[in-house]
Amino acid sequence: MAGWMNKILKINLSNNEQEEIELTDSTRENFLGGRGVGVKLFTDLSSPNIKPFDAENPLIFMTGPLTGTVLTSGRFQVISRSPLTNTICDSSSGGLFGMRLKEAGFDGLIFVGKAKNPVYVNITDDSVEIRDATNIWGKNTHETRDIIAQEVNPKASITCIGQAGENKVLFAALMNDKDRATGRGGLGAVMGSKNLKALVAYGTKKTSIAYPEELKNFKSFLNRLVKKNPVTGKLLPALGTSVLVDTINKHGMFPTKNFQKGVFNDAEGISGQKISENILKKQSACYKCPIACGRSTETDNKKGEGPEYETVWAFGAQLGISDLKAVTEANYICNEMGIDTISAGNTIGCAMELSEKGLFPDNIRWGDADRLVELVKKIGLRKGVGKELSLGAKRLAKKYGKPQLAMEVKGLELPAYDPRGAQGLALAYATSNRGGCHMRAYMIGPEILGQPVNLNRFSTAGKARIVSLFQDISAFVDSTILCRFLQFAIGIDNFAKIVNLVTGSNLTGDDAVKIGTRIYNLERKFNVESGFKRDDDILPERFLNDKLKTGSSRNRVVELDKMLNEYYELRGWDNEGKPTAETLAKLNLS
Amino acid sequence: MITRKELAKMIDHTELKASSGKKKIKKLCEDAVNFGFYSVCINSCHTKFASDILKNTNVEVCVVAGFPLGANKTEVKAAEAKKAVEDGAGEIDMVINNGLLREGDYEYVERDIRKVVEASYPAHVKVILENCYLTNEQIVKGCEISVSTGAKFVKTSTGFGAFGALPEHVKLMRETVGANIGVKAAGGIKNFKDTWRLIKAGANRIGASAGVSILEGLSLYKYAEDAWLEPEIPCHICPARHVSITSVPKSIFKYYKKRCSNCKYKNKYNKFYE
Repeated sequence: MAGWMNKILKINLSNNEQEEIELTDSTRENFLGGRGVGVKLFTDLSSPNIKPFDAENPLIFMTGPLTGTVLTSGRFQVISRSPLTNTICDSSSGGLFGMRLKEAGFDGLIFVGKAKNPVYVNITDDSVEIRDATNIWGKNTHETRDIIAQEVNPKASITCIGQAGENKVLFAALMNDKDRATGRGGLGAVMGSKNLKALVAYGTKKTSIAYPEELKNFKSFLNRLVKKNPVTGKLLPALGTSVLVDTINKHGMFPTKNFQKGVFNDAEGISGQKISENILKKQSACYKCPIACGRSTETDNKKGEGPEYETVWAFGAQLGISDLKAVTEANYICNEMGIDTISAGNTIGCAMELSEKGLFPDNIRWGDADRLVELVKKIGLRKGVGKELSLGAKRLAKKYGKPQLAMEVKGLELPAYDPRGAQGLALAYATSNRGGCHMRAYMIGPEILGQPVNLNRFSTAGKARIVSLFQDISAFVDSTILCRFLQFAIGIDNFAKIVNLVTGSNLTGDDAVKIGTRIYNLERKFNVESGFKRDDDILPERFLNDKLKTGSSRNRVVELDKMLNEYYELRGWDNEGKPTAETLAKLNLS
Repeated sequence: MITRKELAKMIDHTELKASSGKKKIKKLCEDAVNFGFYSVCINSCHTKFASDILKNTNVEVCVVAGFPLGANKTEVKAAEAKKAVEDGAGEIDMVINNGLLREGDYEYVERDIRKVVEASYPAHVKVILENCYLTNEQIVKGCEISVSTGAKFVKTSTGFGAFGALPEHVKLMRETVGANIGVKAAGGIKNFKDTWRLIKAGANRIGASAGVSILEGLSLYKYAEDAWLEPEIPCHICPARHVSITSVPKSIFKYYKKRCSNCKYKNKYNKFYE
């Protein structure tokens, strides 16, 4: 079938056995690719009894039917069970790796088992070679990349873990290409638990396209949509994702000092403007991306990528720090060690609040930029205070008797938007299948940026429907796999059309939404079978009871219960958030 | 619900920035053809250039006259409009003399518009009132004068004033001009929801530079029409929210402040009481 290499390989690292997994037409029709097919394969191969660090826990790398074909299509998706949240978890990354994996002849790779000694896997033009990685175990992601590139092929794309993944930091990331991160949910630790240091991909195969001429014309149309959209055509190219610092701060929802406030008075110091003026070397872009939101930067001592918006928040406002240099260096360390910056900053913020209240043994103060790099390094190495921090905010706050100070949902640390300023976002956080995440349904688009359409951020009316719609559309786009920023500019009908031109299928926008609904429900089903229920679709008390005191979201709390009831009903889930038999049957998930 | 094609045919795809040169106008024309917009709305110096690109297409050329202040001499506005029509413009968007309308010199305002309408024939004329500087009574008067001169449309704003098109003003204009005269909403229209609200209020033409995004936004609506169109906080779309003492004449600021003080929402949302 066009759009596919028709090869998914399962590798058992315990005995090096390899097995080709057949991807049936029905799986493709029902789950498309990327996240959808990954989730389907995961739920087929795993069970709720298998724990994240068990050798049997599958770690799946997936491309999608659009990988390597159109704008932003170098992406890939990683799917497994998260050690941080215990939920099913997928995380994606840009750069080139997805495209290279497909060029090497594979739609996806599944790893089970655990290697006796550290290994890396070299994938070149249909061949898979498992190589010893003892000499690179303990190296950071940059060193790993350089050594492997020399050993194998300088043109290859490499995805690897750093020390954080090796040490099973619960929010360890995978890093690929130029500091691109598969950040959320600690999937780097799952990779580390399998003694799998890196994947290397290179090949010469081209993805077949059903209607190449029509696709060529349609690409120019898509590029115009992106260029003409105010977010993808102007804001993101101009200042990168950190363009949001000013906007979110003005909306009074820039979480400050562990979400105690929604306005950071020193936000200017870490703004997109400041990055452009002080540390920016050049814009950078993923494969065939016209947006180029990436930022190649340089401080006194180092060069690297970022920081992104989430990172300037996590190591900035969240900790009361406005020193851009310190934030940038902490970001570089995370890139090198393979650490999710959102979870790292959020967890340090939690420790700072515990410390402020005299409940934490180490005196970590708000605004202490001097200690930031040291703390991040200790997390990566799980040394000293880093050992506790490496478990994430939920476990940390619980240990010190104040679980309510952990700003998380289902164990995943919340990102850079206070939900009291946007009711739909709050519902999206609560119902996200992988825990506290802004990307499952990016409600900042409609509620703050007015894109692709604008909504009243303080109203709960209609939000249940919009959140579920956005969750489903996002699941579809994650399955194509294209960059989610495109959703600002491209409507669902046109996403379906791209798939049709590449694969020869005949999807409508309605079909695309239904595929997304199916994926979301299958993830939910796995979580429910693993013991998750309504009590887990909850936000920290702070957001439900404490009104923000300043800024343009002042006097607001989240009205969650009302929205949650409506959301379950619309989803066809029972009062405990369990998909009903009828719902599952309707989606062919029984 | 409206179709994508129908919506595109209601949009004047607009590029009126001082910084825009031929390159941008060329792209604007190409987009208008590709996306099926009704017209391109441009400054008069680009008329010939755009007309040449768009000949043999279904896209009109709409040219502004006396833009953006409307304070040029009548003869200058008329000459600008006449030349634009000679160069291929099918529609003229002229700016009313807002200052004299505010002072009640209706005779001057009427003559000013009539001369442009005559000079523009056979092209249609839209009269831009620049509502942000007017009371509701002045908007009604501006609409009545425009209709009396033979203008085919009234239009809310230039996009260069204190604020752009708002549903309340569009509704008022539609009620004043009736069903046979067009109402064009323009200024600050960024997405489909803005657009749809204005269409519902009575607009049958939309002036926007965000036409492409507006069309893409439409594809989401069918999945959750009711949810998207939940009522706004009323103040968000009230003209009073968009005025400040520095952005509009003092009399207009006072006009809205007074309105706010009598508004039923004042304790809940009103900006002057927040």
